[in-house]
Amino acid sequence: MVASGKQSANPHRPSEILETLKRLGFGVAIAVPDSWLGEILVRIEHENMRLVRATHEEEALAIACGTRLGGLRTAMFVQNAGLLSMGAGMVSLAQRYQFPLLMLVSYRGTVEDPVFYHTPKGRVTEPVLKGLGLAYAKADRHRPIGLQVERAATYAEEASCPFALLLSQEDVQW
Amino acid sequence: MVKAVRPSRADYYKVFAGTLPKDALVVTSLGNASYLWAAMHHRPENFYFEDAMGLALPLALGLAIAQPHRPVFVVEGDGAVLMHMGALVTVGAMAPANLTVLLIQNGVHGASGGQALTNASLDLAALARSAGIPRAQNVTTPEAFASAMGKAGGTGARVLVLATEPDSEVVRPPIAFDPVLTKHRFMSAIGAPRYVPTMFGGGRLEQD
Repeated sequence: MVASGKQSANPHRPSEILETLKRLGFGVAIAVPDSWLGEILVRIEHENMRLVRATHEEEALAIACGTRLGGLRTAMFVQNAGLLSMGAGMVSLAQRYQFPLLMLVSYRGTVEDPVFYHTPKGRVTEPVLKGLGLAYAKADRHRPIGLQVERAATYAEEASCPFALLLSQEDVQW
Repeated sequence: MVKAVRPSRADYYKVFAGTLPKDALVVTSLGNASYLWAAMHHRPENFYFEDAMGLALPLALGLAIAQPHRPVFVVEGDGAVLMHMGALVTVGAMAPANLTVLLIQNGVHGASGGQALTNASLDLAALARSAGIPRAQNVTTPEAFASAMGKAGGTGARVLVLATEPDSEVVRPPIAFDPVLTKHRFMSAIGAPRYVPTMFGGGRLEQD
């Protein structure tokens, strides 16, 4: 991938995510909430960006395919549980029709997540993504998050596929 | 709701083809919803599903949000709606006035061979109204469908539940159902912006 953007100096990583989406012309976000995602979704609603709150992640995926089909650059905000539950739609709609989508995913159930009941999802998330053939990367906490979001968005468009960026709590919780 | 004697999908599609606004965008669910529509009224502004049961409605919602100045129609089945009933709630919440849902109620999972639904006698219009879509009505004849198609305007999305006989055969579509071709043909027809790669100084969607 080509790094085309500037590296933001904003130390508040959720703010940097939002600023990057606005800079790259994302017109709409489709979301199913998670406790880490709650506030950034509220902030999106206050910005000049449309937010759709879906009832289920597979439904959110289809809405995102529709907004991208209609010409809007589209981001999704979901928890990794949502990646696990949207598998059929991922392969038979988003990947089969080659929709470029940026998926910003709260990565629950890692060793750094204090909520114990997320661990089953954390343990299987990456093997499932590999099984689905879904392109993804884990965000690096030592690098500016804006550039990583931009590269994920670029990958999605230039490879014509969904791309999941797995985010830690400090990346995305406001 | 499903009645004893019902029109066919083709009966409704004849009316649909004759009353469809010129600038309309049409999304059709898998199976005969797409095959028959392609056979009767193929145009670049049709987006055909070939699988992904239950996801035509939410995709059409996204399309209606992205294209607010064009009427968007989606043909969805009763079995498909039951799979993703939450989508009705999202449609009700977003309330796009340019979205019309044509909900084929044939009482079976038609695309997979006619298996029984979990519940074939639901009042789907009442269900849609409960989900926050006030403009939802049951339609039992092509004439009533034609009348409903003639009533444009209003607030929020609209749901027309079309009581229909199950299809008697699988229609052979007259065109290739290549999914990527379908997508590109559709996006080209509506003049959607294209992505300009970063190596050309892009990294953005740009309108030609």
